[in-house]
Amino acid sequence: MKNKLSRFSIPYVIWMALFVVAPIIMVVIYAFSSADGRFTVENFLQMSSYAVVFARSFKLALIATLICLLIGYPISYFISKEGIRFQQVAMVLIMLPMWMNFLLRTYSWMSILENNGLLNQFFQQTGIINLYNSIAAHFAADPTAYEPIAFFQMIDTQGAVVLGMVYNYLPFMILPIYSVIGKMDHSLLEAARDLGANSANVFRRVILPLSLPGVLSGITMVFVPAVSTFAISTMLGGGTKLLLGDLIEQQFLGGSYNPHLGAAISLVMMIIVVVCMLIMNKFGEGEEQAVIL
Amino acid sequence: MKKPSNGLNRVFMALVFLFLYAPIVVLIVFSFNAGTSNAVWKGFSFEWYEQLFHNRMIMESVYTTLLVSLLATVIATVVGTFTAIGFYAMRRRTRAPLEAVNNIPMMNADIVTGVSMCLLFVAFFGFWNDFAEWVNNAQDFMTLPSLSMGFGTLLIAHISFNIPYVLLSVSPKLRQMDKNLIDAAQDLGCTWIQAFWKVALPEIKPGIVSGALIAFTMSIDDFVISYFTAGSSTSTLAMAIYSMTKKRVSPVINAVSTLLFITVLVLLVVVNIRDAKQAQAPTKQAADAGEQNSPLKKIALGALACLVIVALIFTGQHGNSNRVVNVCSWGEYIDESLIEEFESQTGITVHYQTTDSNETLYSLLKSGAGDYDVIVPSDYMIARLISEDMLAELDYSAIPNFAHIDSAYQHLSYDPENRYTVPYTWGTLGIIYNESMVDEPITSWSAMFDEKYAGQVLMIRNSRDALGAALLELGYDLNTTDEAEIRAAWQLLSDAKQKGVYQAFVMDEVYGKMEGGNAAIAMYYAGDYLTMLENNEDLRFVVPEEGSNWFVDAMCVLKTAQHKEEAMEWINFIASTQSNLANMDYIYYASPNTDALAEYPDYYFDLYDEELDRELYEIMVTPPEVLERCALYENLPADTLRLYNQLWTQLGI
Repeated sequence: MKNKLSRFSIPYVIWMALFVVAPIIMVVIYAFSSADGRFTVENFLQMSSYAVVFARSFKLALIATLICLLIGYPISYFISKEGIRFQQVAMVLIMLPMWMNFLLRTYSWMSILENNGLLNQFFQQTGIINLYNSIAAHFAADPTAYEPIAFFQMIDTQGAVVLGMVYNYLPFMILPIYSVIGKMDHSLLEAARDLGANSANVFRRVILPLSLPGVLSGITMVFVPAVSTFAISTMLGGGTKLLLGDLIEQQFLGGSYNPHLGAAISLVMMIIVVVCMLIMNKFGEGEEQAVIL
Repeated sequence: MKKPSNGLNRVFMALVFLFLYAPIVVLIVFSFNAGTSNAVWKGFSFEWYEQLFHNRMIMESVYTTLLVSLLATVIATVVGTFTAIGFYAMRRRTRAPLEAVNNIPMMNADIVTGVSMCLLFVAFFGFWNDFAEWVNNAQDFMTLPSLSMGFGTLLIAHISFNIPYVLLSVSPKLRQMDKNLIDAAQDLGCTWIQAFWKVALPEIKPGIVSGALIAFTMSIDDFVISYFTAGSSTSTLAMAIYSMTKKRVSPVINAVSTLLFITVLVLLVVVNIRDAKQAQAPTKQAADAGEQNSPLKKIALGALACLVIVALIFTGQHGNSNRVVNVCSWGEYIDESLIEEFESQTGITVHYQTTDSNETLYSLLKSGAGDYDVIVPSDYMIARLISEDMLAELDYSAIPNFAHIDSAYQHLSYDPENRYTVPYTWGTLGIIYNESMVDEPITSWSAMFDEKYAGQVLMIRNSRDALGAALLELGYDLNTTDEAEIRAAWQLLSDAKQKGVYQAFVMDEVYGKMEGGNAAIAMYYAGDYLTMLENNEDLRFVVPEEGSNWFVDAMCVLKTAQHKEEAMEWINFIASTQSNLANMDYIYYASPNTDALAEYPDYYFDLYDEELDRELYEIMVTPPEVLERCALYENLPADTLRLYNQLWTQLGI
């Protein structure tokens, strides 16, 4: 019977061949050819000069994923403990901000985080800036030479870029984790308690392992788009330090139009992501629980 | 059995929701702003909501967005769920490679997915259209239609990038399900279809719901992939918003987003109240009966909705069979009432799309995604398009209004014989500064590299303009091809960046930053300065003494255009004095039309009942003595372009 069910996937396998595999072959062809259509590996030889960008993108995406997990797991857990109506509403409320356009939301963050922005105005009005200045002056090596700040620098920092990523991808961490925790078999938890486990143990030895597939899904759904994200770094990070998404975008929509290099960078990026995912799944592979690959 | 959640949990949840909703609240508040800024509050007003309902393009794009998102979500959810079950039933060895392929669209940068799908569609349509022509010529009793990108390709693309998310949501639920459940159901006499329908489906429902939610969200939010697969006559809301970034994002967009958002909220509340009432149904039997009925009802409703949508698509396509012209321009770069006027005058339907830069336009044209009739590129891009034989010669006898174009804007270096272009607007690049934040008036490009203003300067995020400023500061020619000179200019930029002169590299983010007093100095275009001035009176504009760039944006017709005759009519209409006056007043960019330039002060007086400020007029219409020290960008040779791009990328690393 299992084999009969596997027929369900046939239409999509055909679809994938047409609209996933064929375009990816196009990308490979582009990556290995030059502007005049000849075969070349030149595009890949240039890759080393972008190593810094690769490292930066993976680092920021990793931090963002970690923060998403640290916020997303507890909130999914807390929500699942509420009443069913609360749960339904909470889930829609978590996705709802995403229905406002990404660019508009990021613009909003800009007006919040700017040097003269809403948050800094709040800090000035409540005297938090003054408080900070007097404390900092007190602890400064030479209090007379201390120059008071007029605002907290929030925009145009890497922190702002991470914030943008967390803001945009947090729902993708919460949803899969919640959908696994929410449907967990509660008799298992009762059994664990009946057998003498305390709350911490129930969580660590029962809930956590059972929710692992959702966590792995969530990590993928956050990390993967975060690595290739663009526009966040230019808008919130000041555009002085590129991320991979920006680099690729520059090749396709930038001054010199070099889709060959763009395709090569994106291919290398995908390979690294695949390797990361493989390693992660080895780690979570308990009993055929791996979600990716 | 469940422990009720304690106060601390609730506080944590509240904080997360505060984080999620803070920017949304800001956005909603500023949709009621009387000014155009997203940073400076000018008083309460419904202006943008009123404008919204007169803005056909935005309303159409909202409709397209909802339609494509809904359809893509329904299809992707159904296919994704079945596929997830299919994968689940497979042996691991068969499944693993398929799942790997499934993840490719997620791992690929959006732009790469978009471009590669576009290339595929273009290749297929090219092949199909040749085939159709051959078939149609060979026989008479049937005609095959020729195909181009449009709603269909957009839908395919959306379904493709949605399915992986549905799979990722549903698969964990399946794995969580007790494997023996389905077997048990079959042992108890279910067929395998019943086992699926009655046992598996309810188990994985939460996964399906969250998958559908994610899919819908991805669809609503997607821009790049839509950009490359929607063709020239279909636009989504996200595309409209992104392409506005060459000029600025219209507050109308804030209004439309707020409305969408509030609609969803209201729906949510209504559904919940209804559910709550049902749950309070007097007897349990009634509730059970209701539950028995509800899946069937839901399916019926869903099917009905699908039917309506499909009907809508077909009626929509048939409506557009009359004369059409596909125009691609910049965001917020036309007085939109002109489009309606042209349509009612000529009966031609205008499909008006926008991009955000010359480079984006170029890559849309190159990849085949942009099958436009009329485009409005800038000088240097026109030269490049001409040199690559992509533009059609214009039929000037069909454009009598060309006679109004001032001779100063004819026969320019990009089109010396004036065979391809009719100028649309022109203007200058200069320095915008905040008088209250600098101690002396700025007159030179050196301000853009001066350590004195560290952290206060906004450099433009565009290699040509940024390096151009550095070249002029060093006393070199704007169009130099000398590698040493260009490298020296780059060094100047790079040193300034190292010293922390630049607060940020910006394009249209410059509006919010300058209007809100977050930065002292920026370089940008004169017309945009006039818009900013409305929101911050301390701003000043100067064309630096070393000279600057002046630019012309001109209307051209593509060689591949399908509607050349309509294109000429459109160009002639836009070149008229009346259209030029309307545009000049709307976008603050100078007109190339001699009569419009002369008449504008009177036109302004009639419209607003006050004298036009002479000084502001001269910023928009740069006087000849200033223009004298400015130069047009010329199309650079391929080697130099490559150097520019390479240096620019290095600056960002």
